[in-house]
Amino acid sequence: MVETRRQFIVLGAGLVLLLVLPFIAQALGSPQLLTIGTRVVIYAMAAASLDLILGFGGMVSFGHAAFFGLGGYVVGILAFQSSEGTALFGFIPGATASWITWPAAMLVSAAAAAIVGALSLRTSGVHFIMITLAFAQMLFFLFVSLKVYGGDDGMSFRRRNEFPGLDLRDSTAFYYVCLGLLLAFLFLCRQLVRSRFGMVLQGIRQNERRMGALGLAAYRYKLTAFIIAGGGAGLAGALMANFLRFVSPDMLHWTKSGELMVMVILGGVGTLFGPVFGAAALVGLESVLAGWTEHWMFVLGPLLVIIILFAKRGVYGFLAGIGGPKG
Amino acid sequence: MSALLEVQGLIKRFGGLTATDNLNLDVREGEIHALIGPNGAGKTTAIAQLCGEIPPNAGTIRFAGEDITALTMPQRVAKGLARSFQITSVLPEFSALDNVALAVQIAAGSSFRFWKNARADRSLTDPARALLAEVGLGHRGDVRTSDLAHGEQRQLELAMALATKPRLLLLDEPMAGMGQTESRAMTDFLLSLKGRITMLLVEHDMEAVFALADRITVLVYGHAVATGTPAEIRDDPAVKAAYLGDGEEAV
Amino acid sequence: MLLFLEQVLNGLQFGVMLFLLAAGLTLVFGIMGLINLAQGSLYMVGAFAAAFTANYTGSFLLGLLGGLAAAALVGMAMECLILRRLYARDHLDQVLATFGLILFFNQAMVMLFGRQPLRAEIPPFLSGSVEIIPGVPYPIYRLAIILVGILVAFGLYLIIQRTRIGMLVRAGATSRDMVRALGVDIRLLYTAVFGLGALLAGLAGALAGPVFSVQVGMGDQILITTFVVIVIGGVGSIRGAVAGALLVGLVDTLTRAFLPGILKTFMSASDADGFGGGLSSMAIYLLMAVVLLWRPRGLFPAHG
Repeated sequence: MVETRRQFIVLGAGLVLLLVLPFIAQALGSPQLLTIGTRVVIYAMAAASLDLILGFGGMVSFGHAAFFGLGGYVVGILAFQSSEGTALFGFIPGATASWITWPAAMLVSAAAAAIVGALSLRTSGVHFIMITLAFAQMLFFLFVSLKVYGGDDGMSFRRRNEFPGLDLRDSTAFYYVCLGLLLAFLFLCRQLVRSRFGMVLQGIRQNERRMGALGLAAYRYKLTAFIIAGGGAGLAGALMANFLRFVSPDMLHWTKSGELMVMVILGGVGTLFGPVFGAAALVGLESVLAGWTEHWMFVLGPLLVIIILFAKRGVYGFLAGIGGPKG
Repeated sequence: MSALLEVQGLIKRFGGLTATDNLNLDVREGEIHALIGPNGAGKTTAIAQLCGEIPPNAGTIRFAGEDITALTMPQRVAKGLARSFQITSVLPEFSALDNVALAVQIAAGSSFRFWKNARADRSLTDPARALLAEVGLGHRGDVRTSDLAHGEQRQLELAMALATKPRLLLLDEPMAGMGQTESRAMTDFLLSLKGRITMLLVEHDMEAVFALADRITVLVYGHAVATGTPAEIRDDPAVKAAYLGDGEEAV
Repeated sequence: MLLFLEQVLNGLQFGVMLFLLAAGLTLVFGIMGLINLAQGSLYMVGAFAAAFTANYTGSFLLGLLGGLAAAALVGMAMECLILRRLYARDHLDQVLATFGLILFFNQAMVMLFGRQPLRAEIPPFLSGSVEIIPGVPYPIYRLAIILVGILVAFGLYLIIQRTRIGMLVRAGATSRDMVRALGVDIRLLYTAVFGLGALLAGLAGALAGPVFSVQVGMGDQILITTFVVIVIGGVGSIRGAVAGALLVGLVDTLTRAFLPGILKTFMSASDADGFGGGLSSMAIYLLMAVVLLWRPRGLFPAHG
């Protein structure tokens, strides 16, 4: 994916910035910077997972936040069961160890993605957008109705999950764990996108009819991508739950899906690393603008419209000189 | 020579319009068979039914003796039936090489590989380069498809169709939009394939049709009014009547 | 039984609201191919403008006109400035750009009116109840809404089936290119269609004020429900919008009214309320999923 020197420089600069962020925060005496950085990194993972199906697979899923929230709730519910000493459905015990809860979050999200995808991918176009939205809303209302897990108000829990060798209560340690996972995820995505599977996925996005004429049944490939993306979002959700020590149905709301899409677009669709820039842009904008005015969405709304209409390459696309109106 | 493709009683209606009206057609192994007819005769609809894009209302399609009427498009491709599109349909963001390599990959059936870089895979790129060279695009492999000239894109279409190692190639107006030199080059190329691959060719360019075809079927209002060698067709009164006053190129 | 009848009427009334929104949305999507998330914002603008005008002038009817005018003006501005550029774009761009519009309008309303809901009163000449069947009193206002819905549906039917513009709308819903080929000034047609949709959304908002609360974000939730209506009914068809709206309105209202009660027979009261509430919220989405799996294009798709 790194084809030109310009891309290399931009990405390198971004990586260095992410690596030294905690030190910058300390030097400037502003711990909020580290908080913002952690949020950026976690959302970047969620947005990158969406870009996989959206930017590379051409699947406009408006329900991706469902998998994000589901991953968060897995962590939350397991923590709850652990502190209550009870077992879920009578036989699943609570857990607070990250090597149990985080893979569990990914598995549950991936499984949910398998079900949602299996049904939704039979449709296309606006119907696909709507049905993914519908499934996400169903899950949203499900968690709203589960009063035992806080319902509408959400549920907080006392401690972050245990991690081998590190105390995640330390914000710097937690930040680096998230960053490490993000980099690992991006690396996996990069391999995926360049592999035979990735070529097929991109081919399906560019011209599904042509792929059919070549003998390819697109459904199973789209579904596989959908499942992988769901798992990735689930991991991001688990990290967010750990970060906030709080989960609520808002993590699954369709407006959260919208935010993720905005991050992908802001950063540059289908560029793999764009979502990182997009997450940084959105979270950054939010922090900066919210400082000025409570009504920062008043600016963000039109800004978004302008970007869609006139500047589609996104931040990364612009900086690195790639992308542009496609096909 | 046996019939590789047999079409019997094919009917397709769109609301009140009967696009394919009891079509009977057979294509013999190894031949180049051309399907011609005035505008609106239903040639593209026929091709679409043959390759599996739209289901017929009635009739059967047999390929190598097997009834394929109910098979999906990918299933038919697996049997050896391939098509090229009338309006160029390639993958615009990929390079020409990527397009053909992907076609090779799909034909090989092994797309659930997630790790190795596909563009560095010689088992895909070598056959792809060979195919590109065969259609005359050997030097243009690394060009982004949307930057290729129209004629070159048609050649690429063909290379992709060939990558599926078809027994029968359905060519929907391969000369469409080509100038004289390009058309001649394409005609020569198709002739070079003769015998190896059976072809059913829909074309308006009569010069190409008469140069290429072993047999011609004339389609009028979705029905085959005549089938025979180019000489027979040239002298057929029904054919003359169908084309008279239609503005088509004179035979 | 009487309670059931009352809830059926409530369902019809909700269905009317949904129909008013869905009609505009489905026409815009069917003819211009535009997914417009900001339709909910026009509903909200209509509601706020109507409530504000009614409170200021003391007249419900003036409020209604105010709501219609505001929605129409805002809608036209939206179309000219932004939506026009989106017709040629793909659905993703449309979704995101109109999502941006939602953010903008929500904040604008907060800035203009604050976060507290606005009071909207039922006008005296429509207040009170009437006994539609002896022993079943039902609010006159809600009956009025149902009546308005029937009139609008009938009016749309007449326009679309009997007038020249309607013919263009029908043609446009099945083939955009054909309409262009007929030499019609397509931009005028688009603006007219969009204007009609905006008016209907404004009407829904103005009527909704006294029944639902007029607050920021009221458009978002009903927007999603409206999309469900369109997907169930079939994109681009008014018939589909009617069918979808009635179905969704009834299913949603009836499950909310009776599901917790049914669950109480084998669950504790608070569990039943929570779970019942969640299930009934999910009900329309389950309905949509089932319909789509049976008829992937919806019940009465325009394209057939």
